[in-house]
Amino acid sequence: MAVTILSIMIILLCLGFPMMIPLIAAAGVGFYTMFGGFGQMETMIQQFMAGIRPAALIAVPMFIFAADIMTRGQSAQRLIDLVMSFVGHKRGGLAISTAAACTMFGAVSGSTQATVVAIGGPLRPRMLDAGYKDSFTLALIINASDIAFLIPPSIGMIIYGVISNTSIAELFIAGIGPGLLILLLFSIYCWIYAVRMGVPTEPVTPWPDRMRAVARALWPMGFPVIIIGGIYGGIFSPTEAAAACVLYALILEMIVFRTIDLKTLVATARSTGLITAVVFILVGAGAAFSWVISFAQVPQEVLGAIGIDEMGPIGVLFVISIAFFIGCMFVDPIVVILVLVPIFAPVVDAVGLDPVHVGTIIVLQVAIGSATPPFGCDIFTAIAVFKRPYADVVRGTPPFILILLSVSVLLIFFPQIALFLRDLAFR
Amino acid sequence: MSEQQPEDRKTGGASLSTEGVPSAEALAAAGAIDDVAPSAYRSDLPGPLGWIDNGIARLEGFLLAAGVLLMAGNSVANVIGRYFLGQSIQFTEEVNQILIILITFAGISYAARHGRHIRMTAFFDMMPGRMRKLLMIVIALVTAGFMFALAWYSWGFMMTQLSRGRVLPSLQIPVWMTVVWVPVGFFMTGLQYLLTTIKNIIAPDIYLSTSVLEGYADDEQEV
Repeated sequence: MAVTILSIMIILLCLGFPMMIPLIAAAGVGFYTMFGGFGQMETMIQQFMAGIRPAALIAVPMFIFAADIMTRGQSAQRLIDLVMSFVGHKRGGLAISTAAACTMFGAVSGSTQATVVAIGGPLRPRMLDAGYKDSFTLALIINASDIAFLIPPSIGMIIYGVISNTSIAELFIAGIGPGLLILLLFSIYCWIYAVRMGVPTEPVTPWPDRMRAVARALWPMGFPVIIIGGIYGGIFSPTEAAAACVLYALILEMIVFRTIDLKTLVATARSTGLITAVVFILVGAGAAFSWVISFAQVPQEVLGAIGIDEMGPIGVLFVISIAFFIGCMFVDPIVVILVLVPIFAPVVDAVGLDPVHVGTIIVLQVAIGSATPPFGCDIFTAIAVFKRPYADVVRGTPPFILILLSVSVLLIFFPQIALFLRDLAFR
Repeated sequence: MSEQQPEDRKTGGASLSTEGVPSAEALAAAGAIDDVAPSAYRSDLPGPLGWIDNGIARLEGFLLAAGVLLMAGNSVANVIGRYFLGQSIQFTEEVNQILIILITFAGISYAARHGRHIRMTAFFDMMPGRMRKLLMIVIALVTAGFMFALAWYSWGFMMTQLSRGRVLPSLQIPVWMTVVWVPVGFFMTGLQYLLTTIKNIIAPDIYLSTSVLEGYADDEQEV
C-alpha cells in the first residue's frame, strides 16, 4: 500500500500535474484500497474540509494580505535605505546590506519569492555597478531571501504548526535565532568575498542622513514590533497578530503614505485570495492524504524499512533534514511539509524530540532546498525576475548552501540556537 | 508628512537610489503578487456561452476579493473588540471558516482559469514540443476527471450535511450552506480543465489554461 501510494504521487508529480492532483490521487487510492471501493469518498471530502478549517490557518491569508499590501508600497525601499546608511560603507557593505535587508523584509513578508523581488530587484543593479560578480549577487539574493522564511511571520511555520499540532507562537520565536545566525555567517562571507575581490567601498553616509533613514524606516519596523513583540509579550495569538498587521498595513499604505487607493486594495485582495486558494487546496488535499496514510500506518512501514527505530534522536533529525532538503530541491516547500510532516510525526513523538526544535529544522531545510539546484523554486523566481539563464543563477550558490548546511548541522547538535529565545519567552 | 508625498511617490521613496524598484510585472512574474483582473479575461467560447464564461470569471474575482476583505474586516474587528473594547466577537471564527471555504473554492477555479495552480515543471520543460502538447492534453483531461469526481462526492457530502440539519453554534446558519461552494468550485475547476483539454486539441500551441500559453514569457528581454 505504501509503495503504491507513494509511487503514484511521485509519478504524477514528475509528469507535471498541478500539485493538488498527486495529493488527491494518492489520498483517493488510499481510501479506495482501505475501504474496498468508493464507499468512503465522502469521508475524504470531510477530511479535506477538516484540513482547511483550523482557526490558526486564518493567519496565512492575513499575513499574505498584509505583506501584499506592503510589497506594493515603499517599505522594502525604506528598509534598504536604512541598512545601507549604516553598513553600506563597510567592506562588502552593499552585499551585507542585501542580506540584512532580506532579513528585515522577512519580518514583513513570509514569502521567499516576494523577498527576492522586493529586495533583490533594487539591490542587484547597485551591486553590479559596485563591482560584484553577477553570479555572486544572484546567489546572495536567492539564499539570503531564505532567511525570510525563518523570520516570523512564516507561512511554512504556520502550516507545520497546524498539521503537527505545535504552538505557532513558539515556532515563530524559535525561527529568529537561526535566521540571525545565517545573516551573521552570510555577512562574514560577503566581507571575505569583498576583501578578496577588492570590491571598492561606498561613501560613508553622514549622521543626519542616517537619522532621516531611521525615521523613514520606523513605519515598516512596526511589523516586527507587532508580530514578535505581540507574541513575545503574550498580547497576541499569531492569528490576532496577523489581523493587527493587516490593520497596520492598511493604515500605513492607505492613510499615511497614500500609495494604495481603493481600487488597488481590491486588486490586492483578489491576488491574496488567489494565492490563498492555491495554498489551501493543497492543505485540504494534504489533510486527506495525511489522514489516510496514518490510518493505513504508512509511516511505520516506510520508516521501519530504513530502520529509524535504532537511530536515536540525532539520527532521526538527520534523516528528517535530508528528506526535507531533497524534497524541496524538487517540489514546492508547502507540499513537502504537507506530505512529509505526517510521515515523520509518529517517530518524532516516539523519540521524544521537541516539536518546536524539529519544526525549526524542517523550516530551515525547506528554505535551503528552495534555493538549491536543480529545481529549487527560488531559482526559477530569480530566472523570471532577473531574466538570467539558469546556469548564471546557480553558479555562485555552493558557498551559500555550504554555510546553510553547516547551520543545519549546528542546529541539530545545539537546539539552543532555536530554543534559547523560545525558553526565554515561554518557559 | 502628506505634502511631500507626490515627490516621494515619483522617486520610489528612496533617498539613495531610485532604480530597479520592482515593477508590478516583475512581481507578477515571480508569483509574488498577481494582477490577473477578471476584466482582463476574455472567454474563447462562442456567443452566449462566452458571455456566461466572462460573467463567471468576474463573479469568481469578485468573490475572492470580497472574501479576503470581509475576512480582514472581521479579524481586525475582533482584535479591536478584544483589546480596545474588552469584548471579542463571538462568531468571528465561524465567519472566517465560512469565508475561507468560499475563498478556497472560488479561487481554485479562478486559478485554473488563469493557469496559476502550482506545478513541478522541471521534467515537463525538458520534453520535446510534441510530447509536451500530448502530455498537457492528458494532464488537463485527467485533472478535469479528478475535479468532477470530487465535485460529485462533495455534493454527496453537502447532502449528508443537509440531511443532518446541523447549524453553526453561534451564527445558527445551517452547516450545509457553508459548504455549497465546495461542489460548485470543484465542478467549475473541472470545467476549466476540460476546456483547456479542448483548447489544446484544436489550437496549435500549448495552453496552461484556455487563455494562458505555457512557458516563460519574454525570457530574452534584458533587464
